[in-house]
Formats: sequence, C-alpha cells, structure tokens
Amino acid sequence: MDLERTNDQELLRDTAVKFIKETGDPVTVRALSTTTTGMPEKYLQRTADLGWYAMLVPEAFGGGSVSGEGLRDLAIVAEERGRALQPGPFVPMNVVATALARRGTDAQRDEVLASIVAGETLATWAVVGTSGVWEPGAVRATATEGGFLLSGTCGAVQDAVCAEWLLVTAGTPVWPARVSASTAGMSGGPTQFLVPASATGVEATALEGLDLTQRFGTVSFRDVFVPPSSVVGEVGGAAEDVEHQLQIALVLSVSEAIGAMDALFEMTRTYSIDRIAFGRPIGSFQGVKYQLADMSLAVQAGMAIATAATRAVQAGQPDAGEVASMAKAWVGDAAIDIAQGCFQVFGGIGFTWEHDSHLYLRRLTMGSVLFGSPDWHRERICQLHDIEVRS
Amino acid sequence: MNTTETLPDMNIYRENARRWLAEHMDQRPSSDASAESGLATEEFLKKKIATARALQRKLFDGGYSGITWAKEYGGQGLPLEYDVAFLEAAEHYVMPDFDTFNSTTFDVCVPVMLEHSSPEFLRSFIPKVLAGELLVCQFFSEPSAGSDLAGVRTRATRDGDQWVINGQKIWSTLAQFADWGMCLTRTNWDVPKHRGLTWFAVPCDSAGLTIRPIRQITGSPHFCEDFFDDVAVPDGYRIGEVNNGWTVTQSMLVRERGAARSADTMSPTGPGDLVPDLVAAARKAGQLADPVVRQKLARAHTNDYVSRALGFRIAQMTAQGDLNTGVAAYGKLFKGVYTPIRARIGVEIAGAGAMTWDPATPGADATALAYLNGRLISIAGGTNEMQRNGIGERVLGLPREPSFDTSKPFNEVLLDSAHWNGKD
Ligand SMILES: Cc1cc2nc3c(=O)[nH]c(=O)nc-3n(C[C@H](O)[C@H](O)[C@H](O)COP(=O)(O)OP(=O)(O)OC[C@H]3O[C@@H](n4cnc5c(N)ncnc54)[C@H](O)[C@@H]3O)c2cc1C
Repeated sequence: MDLERTNDQELLRDTAVKFIKETGDPVTVRALSTTTTGMPEKYLQRTADLGWYAMLVPEAFGGGSVSGEGLRDLAIVAEERGRALQPGPFVPMNVVATALARRGTDAQRDEVLASIVAGETLATWAVVGTSGVWEPGAVRATATEGGFLLSGTCGAVQDAVCAEWLLVTAGTPVWPARVSASTAGMSGGPTQFLVPASATGVEATALEGLDLTQRFGTVSFRDVFVPPSSVVGEVGGAAEDVEHQLQIALVLSVSEAIGAMDALFEMTRTYSIDRIAFGRPIGSFQGVKYQLADMSLAVQAGMAIATAATRAVQAGQPDAGEVASMAKAWVGDAAIDIAQGCFQVFGGIGFTWEHDSHLYLRRLTMGSVLFGSPDWHRERICQLHDIEVRS
Repeated sequence: MNTTETLPDMNIYRENARRWLAEHMDQRPSSDASAESGLATEEFLKKKIATARALQRKLFDGGYSGITWAKEYGGQGLPLEYDVAFLEAAEHYVMPDFDTFNSTTFDVCVPVMLEHSSPEFLRSFIPKVLAGELLVCQFFSEPSAGSDLAGVRTRATRDGDQWVINGQKIWSTLAQFADWGMCLTRTNWDVPKHRGLTWFAVPCDSAGLTIRPIRQITGSPHFCEDFFDDVAVPDGYRIGEVNNGWTVTQSMLVRERGAARSADTMSPTGPGDLVPDLVAAARKAGQLADPVVRQKLARAHTNDYVSRALGFRIAQMTAQGDLNTGVAAYGKLFKGVYTPIRARIGVEIAGAGAMTWDPATPGADATALAYLNGRLISIAGGTNEMQRNGIGERVLGLPREPSFDTSKPFNEVLLDSAHWNGKD
C-alpha cells in the first residue's frame, strides 16, 4: 500500500474493509466456489454503491473518486479485495469503464458505461487468445457490408458466462480496398469493439480453473456481425488504448496480489508464534524465522514497486508501461514464492482443503500468469527499451 | 533549527542553488560515467579522496554543506526539503565522492556523534567535517567480534580526565586515509556485555595507534587492521555516557542499515536505461537476442528499480516515525540478497570472454571486479543473517533466539564460551 494516503483514502479503505467483512470474507468466498457466478447476491450493485467501478470515470459521465486520482484510490480497494480474496470482475469492469470513458461514443457511454458504474451490468475484457498468451488479435475483424465480422476465440475471459458486454480487441490485418471512406486510413493495428454477449455467433463457455475465487471462460466469435457504432476508439488505431488498459489491469491485479500476499503472510506469521514444537514457538527457530524474514522482505519490496507502478500509471508517465511491467514481473514471482513458502511453515495443516492457504496459492498463481506472466513482462521490458530481438 | 527565523523561500533557494552550481561546479560528463572501473589501488583511492575534499570545501564555502545540520556546528539548519532540493538541483554535477566515507563519515559516524557527543566537542569538530577536512572511519569490528558487536574486547581504562585504549580493530574501511575513527570499547567487564560499552572519537594520528592496510579479495587495500597500544584520548572525545554504549550503537545501526538519508526521500525517478553495463556485456558477447539473456537483463533491471522503490518506502516509514533498526534492515537485506545475484548475472551474460582480459584495455576487468565485490554488501555493515534476525525479532515480533551470553558478566561469557555445551 502507498504510505501516503489522505483521510478520504483511509475512509475509502475502511469502508471497503467493513463491506468485505460483512459480505465476502474467505469463508463466504469458499462457499461460493462452486456457484456459477462465484459472487454473493447483488455483489455488483453493492460494490458499485461503494464506487468500485466509478473511480476511473470522470464525474461528467457519472463517475468520480475521493482524491481525484482514481487509480490510486482504486489500488487501495484492490489491495483490500486481494486480502480477502474477493470474487467478481473488478479488474475487467474497471478496464472497460476506463476504455469507454476515454474512447467510447456517447451512445456507448449512455447505454453501457452508466450501467457499469451502477453495477447493473457485467462487462468484461476479451483480449488474449486461448493459450492465455498476451497477444491482441486472437479475434480478427473483417470489414463487410455495413459493418464488421468478428471471428476467433478469446481465452482467460473473466466472468465470460455472466457477462452482458464484451470489450473485444481484434486484429485488423487485411482491409479490402472496397471498404468505404469511413474505414480509410486504417493502419492495420488492433480495433476494439463493444459487443453485446447476446449478439448472434457469440458463444461463452465456462471453464474450471486453479483459482476457486474467480470465474474464467472462453468466448468464441463465429462471424459475429457488428455495426460501426460498436467500435471503441479508432478503427485500426487501438494500440495505445490497449496499452493503457493493460497498464490499468496490471496496477489493479498487482495491488490485489499484494493484499493477498500480505494477508497470507500475516496468517503464517501468527501461526509461527502460536504453533509450539520442541517446547518453543516454531517462529523462534532461525530456520523458520529466516523464511519469514525473506517473505516479509518480498511483501515490503512488492508494496514498494506496486506503489511506484500505481503512481506512474496514475500520472501517465512516459515509462509507466515499463514500471507496471516491472511490478507485474516482480510481484508475480514473489507471489508464488510467498504462497509456496507459507505452505512450508504451516506443515501438514496447510495441505488440507479446509485450510485457506491453498485458496491464496490458487488466486496468487492465477494472478501471476494472468495479464502476462513474469517472463512475458521481462521480455516486454527489453522491447520497450528497443533492445533488438536480432543482434 | 531556530524556529524564530523564517525559512528561505523554496523557489528562491532552488534558483540560487542552481545558479551557484552552474558557477562553481562542473557538469558530469553525459557519456557513460561508469568509466570509474579498474582496481581501487592505494594511489587511486588517495587521489579520489583528495579530489573529494577539495569539492567538499567548495560546497562548504558556498553554504551547501550540512544543509540540515545545526547552525551552531557550521551547518545551515534547514529542514530536509532543502537538502532534497539541493540534491535534485545537483543531479547533473560532479559532487564530492569520498568513496565509502560517503556513508561511514556522513551517513553513520558523524550523525551519531551529533546525537551523542558533547556540544563543546561538536563545536570544534563538525565544521571541519563539513569543510571536508575530517573524515571518520569505523573502528567497530574486531577479530573476535563482528556480528556480535557487543562482544568487543578492546579495553578503555580511565586515567584522570583521559582514557587509555588497548586492543585491536579490524576491517576498518579506508582507515589509512581517515583523520578520526569512531571506536567501540569495553569499559566494564563485570557486567553483561551490553552494559559495559563506551564509544570514543579517536584521532588516527594518536600515539600508539598503528593502522595497516589489508588487501581485499580483489587485491585492493580497501580496509585495515588497527592496533591500539596505550592510545590516550581525553574524556571530551567520549560519545555518549560511560557504559551506555549500547544506546549509541542502536542509533548507529539504524543509520548503518541505510535509513535516514536525504537522497532516499526523493521520490524515485524513472527506471532509466536498461542496465547499461549488462547490455554492453551482452552486446559484446553477441547474446543480446538470446531470450534467456534478455530475461536476465530485465530481471537485473527490475531488481535495481525495486531496490530504489524500497529505499523510498523505508525513507517514508522513517519519516512517519518508524525509526526502527528492523525496518531499515529491509533495504540492507534487499541489497545483500540481490547484489550478488546481479554480479552473477554479469558473469553469466558476459561469459568466459569477460573472465580474462587484456590489461591494456581500461575497464575490461569490470565484470570480474563487480563479481568479486558483489558479496561485500551481504557482509559489511551487518550480514544478511543479522538483518534477518532483526526483521524477524523486531519487526515481525517472532520470539527471540535463546541467548546464553546476555545476562551474565562478560568476563564469565569469555570463560564459558571455550567449553559451551548448549545448556547455559
Ligand atoms: C568490505 C567490508 C568492509 C567492512 N568495513 C568495516 C568498517 O569500516 N568498520 C568495521 O568496524 N567493520 C567493517 N567490516 C566488518 C563487518 O562489519 C563484519 O565483517 C560483519 O559484521 C561480520 O562480522 P564477522 O566478519 O566477524 O563475521 P561473523 O560475525 O563471525 O559471522 C560469520 C557468519 O556467521 C553468521 N552469524 C554470526 N552470528 C549469527 C547469528 N546470531 N545468527 C545467524 N548467523 C550468525 C554471519 O551471518 C556470517 O555468515 C567490513 C567488512 C567487509 C567485508
């Protein structure tokens, strides 16, 4: 967490903590792990009441944040969500909200953005292929009479089955010459579309997964016709938008991971003081103490880099993408180190279904690979520095 | 700081600093300034320190030395923001670089003296420090006491209004160039070890003090062993109360672990260029396109930036009142763990080609030297293990390791340790 917080931000945090305690602590989340949505009743609306989907949206469009720096505020909420393994499409809803706020048409803002902010609809982000590798373009758009046809399949789509709206990123590689002037000047870069899940040819399939606290699925598009009014931003010109969305997703998912790491670590620290072996608390043995010291260093360093990334993206710094990738790479590795390190300290009890540590391991591991694995982000860092792939 | 005085306007202060720097100091060459490579020989170190002294004098004369230090001791008595503002303005200028004295003198010893020495001593001593005339080394470790600093055996005995010191110190960095040393001694042997310690400031040219350089693993004579034979120091050089040296030690340890530095309180700037030294090594080895090498480059670059971000976080914690040796230990442990990893990455990327070099090519031994020096920070100033003890016990509140030497008189500890059986 950022150590510099305003009183309003403290209040925001307290409110999030209180809500989570009442509605969705890990016990509840565990009970929900077999349901379709994975969410408590009316979870979206109730969290929307707390402003969870409004903070990246300007007041003019019904949004607003407590400090005027929406991403920093949202990162505080994300951390508390991570602590208690909160379910729901928190990251994708905010990504879609920011996309529509920045680039959406008036109609998209009126029809969809307002209901996202109010938690009345579930919108999600479909951007990677079925392998889960971060490459916009798993879906292709081709221009057709009066619009576009989308085809392809996206993987790792959060809440794919419950979503009513999909922000789809499509590669637009081939542009037939006969396409009208409205599509002239297309650079061949990605295009983003806001597509209703009910459109003909869209099919969402629920998947089971390692993470029991969040729902993922695939969405396939079979010659889905969409009108030009569904384009978000410029045709062929969405590269920068996708980059911005990625940065938001990275900051929020890293912040969730930090919360989860800190909570898991704290459980483990307490256990090491309570658990007695050889007539002493196990935390008094140097072998155990050093594992905890190293894990706590990873939590502190993770918080430091997460804060740096949040601030960089909030400020729109030119190197924000790089810092966000650093945070994702570093925290992604540290999350797994901590999840596995804590297992060791818990001994046998930690290996049981009833114990929460595997819920954290699952969530943290999913978070580590979602939106780009640490290795993927390290390669991206080299490319952002123009380190040539071929020397 | 005198609160009745009004502070200079920050914008004017900044502007004046910029103007003064432009007039008096040299810009840093924009080319890769890491050209300071090669072995730190006695000659090299001597020249480096002499250059730094001259630059420090300029700062002092310009009123930019000891910006936060008390006016009565020759400082400027300004709040931290002014120091940060000056550091920011000075970013692209050549500033005095005293090698390890940057930390031993300016970050550790002298700030501790400011807290614990007598005002009379400080009034004559500190202005000379600020002018670059006095450099202070650390006479802490001994052949039989390193991590266990409270176990020192150098003896100080009172003789009228002076003290007589006998014993041996070791690993004292750059002591052969120091003017003074901050020395930990035992003044009472009949009480538990933490309760019989006293600190002194000792002039290095004292009669009876012999300082001998020791070569480090690189071959550089970067630290010394120091023999104290009836070295007499006046009581006025004492730092803190007699037998209350452990209190002084604690404030020393916080600083040694790197808390409370103005530079850290500056919000870290961007990550900057991708590890230029390692990229150059990879290019030279023809490995820049290798995906495994690229992973290592980005890993080193990320770790470097996380270390800076962590330094900033610790400075924030310190500013919020968490001046705890354990919290400071995070930054030290991070460096102690990741510096050797970075040095190793250098060797892995550069390969055999960098493990042999033509002595005529300047800087060709950089990877090898960095590799050897990579371990330094894991040991010097408190080992990684001591940082883990500190974090575990002081920050995480884990129960302490059972100890066998803290409650009995130090005399007995010495006798018992020879046949210690794990029972008492
Ligand atoms: C480059 C360099 C510069 C230095 N500069 C100075 C200087 O300027 N002035 C000065 O006074 N000293 C200096 N030192 C000395 C340094 O502070 C000590 O070397 C260090 O504190 C370790 O002490 P030691 O060498 O006696 O090792 P020991 O204390 O004998 O430690 C040996 C090993 O045992 C471990 N160990 C010891 N106690 C424990 C414990 N309780 N729990 C777990 N593990 C333990 C240590 O971590 C280490 O791995 C310098 C050292 C180096 C390498």
